Amino acid sequence: MLTFILRRIVQTLVVIVILSYVCFGLMTLMPGDPVELMISANPRISAEDVTRLREFYGLDQPLIKRYYTWISDISKGELGYSRTYRIPVTEMMGPALTATFILSITSLLFSLIIAIPLGIVCALKPNSKVDYIANLFSFAGISVPSFWLGIVLIIIFAVNLRWLPAGGYQTTGLAYENIFQELMDKAKYLILPMVSLSVQSIGRFSRFTRSAMLEAMRNDYIRTARAKGLSNRVVIFQHGFRNALIPLITIIAISFSSIFSGALITETLFAYPGVGRLIYSSIIGNDFNVAMVAFVVSVSAVLIMSLVSDILYGVVDPRISYK
Amino acid sequence: MKNLSLVLATVLVLVGCTKKDNAGSTPGTPSAGATSNAGGKLTNNELKIGITQEFENFNPVIQTMSATSYMQHMVNRPLVTINADGKWIPLLAKKIPTIENGAAKIVDKGGKKKLVAIWEILENANWGDGKPVICEDIIFSLKVASSPNVSVGEKETYTQIEKIEADPKNPKKCTFTYEKAKWDFYQLGTVWLLPSHLEEAVFKKFGALKEGYEKNSLYSKDPTNPGLYNGPYVLTELQLGDHVSFAPNTKFYGEAPKFKRIIVKLIPNSGTLEANLRSGTIDMISSLGLALDQALAFDKKVKGENLGYSVLFEPSATYEHIDLNLDNPILKDIRVRKALNYSINREELVNSLFEGKQNPAIHAVTPKDPWFTDDPTKVVIYKYSPREAERLLEEAGWKMGADGIRTKGEKRLSFTLMTTAGNKTRELVQVYLQNKWKQVGIEVVSRNEPARVFFGETTKKRKFDSMALFAWISSPENNPKSTFTTNNIPTAKNGWSGQNSMGWSNPKVDELLYSMDTVFEHAKRVEIIHKVLKYYTEDVPVLPLYYRSDIAVIPTQLKNFRLTGHQFPETNEVEKWTVE
Repeated sequence: MLTFILRRIVQTLVVIVILSYVCFGLMTLMPGDPVELMISANPRISAEDVTRLREFYGLDQPLIKRYYTWISDISKGELGYSRTYRIPVTEMMGPALTATFILSITSLLFSLIIAIPLGIVCALKPNSKVDYIANLFSFAGISVPSFWLGIVLIIIFAVNLRWLPAGGYQTTGLAYENIFQELMDKAKYLILPMVSLSVQSIGRFSRFTRSAMLEAMRNDYIRTARAKGLSNRVVIFQHGFRNALIPLITIIAISFSSIFSGALITETLFAYPGVGRLIYSSIIGNDFNVAMVAFVVSVSAVLIMSLVSDILYGVVDPRISYK
Repeated sequence: MKNLSLVLATVLVLVGCTKKDNAGSTPGTPSAGATSNAGGKLTNNELKIGITQEFENFNPVIQTMSATSYMQHMVNRPLVTINADGKWIPLLAKKIPTIENGAAKIVDKGGKKKLVAIWEILENANWGDGKPVICEDIIFSLKVASSPNVSVGEKETYTQIEKIEADPKNPKKCTFTYEKAKWDFYQLGTVWLLPSHLEEAVFKKFGALKEGYEKNSLYSKDPTNPGLYNGPYVLTELQLGDHVSFAPNTKFYGEAPKFKRIIVKLIPNSGTLEANLRSGTIDMISSLGLALDQALAFDKKVKGENLGYSVLFEPSATYEHIDLNLDNPILKDIRVRKALNYSINREELVNSLFEGKQNPAIHAVTPKDPWFTDDPTKVVIYKYSPREAERLLEEAGWKMGADGIRTKGEKRLSFTLMTTAGNKTRELVQVYLQNKWKQVGIEVVSRNEPARVFFGETTKKRKFDSMALFAWISSPENNPKSTFTTNNIPTAKNGWSGQNSMGWSNPKVDELLYSMDTVFEHAKRVEIIHKVLKYYTEDVPVLPLYYRSDIAVIPTQLKNFRLTGHQFPETNEVEKWTVE
């Protein structure tokens, strides 16, 4: 087991280095650079200024040299300086990653809380009215574009009913009197983006749970368990659901891996200061340091969660061994 | 139930853990129980402004983003600026030195003509911590901006000042020696002052390292330090990517600001700005917000539903036009270029597409500019005339084909019109123009690209085949050397610098524009620029379309708000804004 984990960690590191070079190269290939943005904001920037700034930022250097500088800094623990925001990347990434983590984790938990019981119920009563209605909503959830849903939610709950804020992260500039007030205020801002993000996942997870449970409940060991006189609850959860978990773990692990990648559309729509929006603006602004750090975090999350899911397979199914 | 409670508790704890650094909150920050304007009547307690563009840290010398510049004018003031009437006025300076008022003079130093000017800072100009604004602050700013280790955008504005000497008896009286004797020496609207009493120690410690100063500046490390600001407001909270809060600066030299707190909130999706406004999340939309089509639609709702807002449209110094690639063999013929120009009905274009809220353009100098002229004796005005366009094309040998498109031998009169993809207004203009040109037998095919490809590659390297539709952002009395002169035609040799994407080369224009730098009489400069505009309109390297308008949405209760229409934003007069 330990050898397996170590081997996978080494593989992960190699993949990160290779992909970071590919990503760095792709960013270099994109037309334009941060200096172009300066020109568009200031008509008085001269041709001399442009040449000087390109030299200053090292944008006149070849790709390999720029990549070498970046990777050397990273290996020394220096994440660099954001050209766009003009502050160290760590100061930029920390709050954005936290905000995204909160949004993604609450959305994921909310989706699982609804989708798993819904999928189980549908699997236990296939082709029933409940199954048909749940399927209808699941497919609707999968099909509805998140930007459209987000706008609809804003119009209904923020503009018309005025129950929830249209966007943001917290009431701006509010000095909280106690932690509970702060929690309630921030939770209020989380509801609409969380629902907007969850609708699609609920549809997807409930469909996966349904099909995995249907498959599991058809097995001989379920019949044997029932014949042994075990209670319905034990048969469903200990025998059926546990076996249905393997495919579910894969899909949940993949979803977990995206908790640090952010949700660009939702974050932009709800003016939520998360990492998805940060990655997008850093790529558009050619802010290499921010984009590359965000990229490494995302790739690492995917690879680590893939490793975690592999380990979990063994926990759920003792027949799986690591050699 | 137990599991659900556990999950909810986890969520609440996680949300609680996300508390951002509110260390900057001042005692003036209202508590949670304080009243908000959301959904209610706007008061002078708080004003929440929506913007769609990202902002950076507030170090004025290194800032480059428009959104930061918008807010910078709330917290810092330069020596001079251009007001909403398009006139240069003093801010931190007592007066603008001129040759006429004797505060500036041309001197001969070692055979070189230089300019010496006396700038005197207002007696009561102070930083937010009460320290006076003095010449030493300007000297320090110059030192920072000139450093090769600091990434300043527009360096020449600073480096044109060769030396600053403070009067030993009066630290607010400064003698500037300019490297060259140029007429625009007083245009220091983008020369910002840094508080030397706070920042000099940082520069001494880190200035020798590349980007050392900017990384360690108090604007990065302690942005809510009031001593960093000399404007009507000081920054009380900064959350990059989200919002900035401001409170009045009690040490401000001018009129006391009326709003007790201003919050500028970033809402990156302009499509949801209206929803945020109507739900009370913000009270107004800044000039960095709505696109024209969104503003026109909202204006109708405001009038139809009697909403308590005003949608303001102010003609600006932004010039929408089509650059013609003069290397294109067909476009080398001036008759074709003129025919293209005669075929555009600009009046109809602005009325049908923009409901008359933007003005038709005749050349590159906008009506906001004192250099503007529409005198037909000084510039060529191309009034819509499809007949004249057809005559010119016939004369140039382009005969009407059976399919309604003109041909000359084997060649078809066909062009590609490129612009930024996804820009609704420009795409509408494209369709309108295609239709107009088709009526005279010219085929135009659209090919659009994402903005960063279009500006980063296509226009920069002159890779557009024939036409490129975009805007030039100008400022009043700005010498158009970077867009008009031969030296500024982007080539591989000059590293693709310069913005003369047309490839227009007129030696007379070059001579006139370079000679203008040393002309101190306003009337003579106007004469020169009018001559340049004459060549510009005669040669037709560009097809003028319209002058863009700045747009803002404000509550009807808000008074003394004026859009400027140029690079110095409306926040230049933020202290005057009030609710009546």
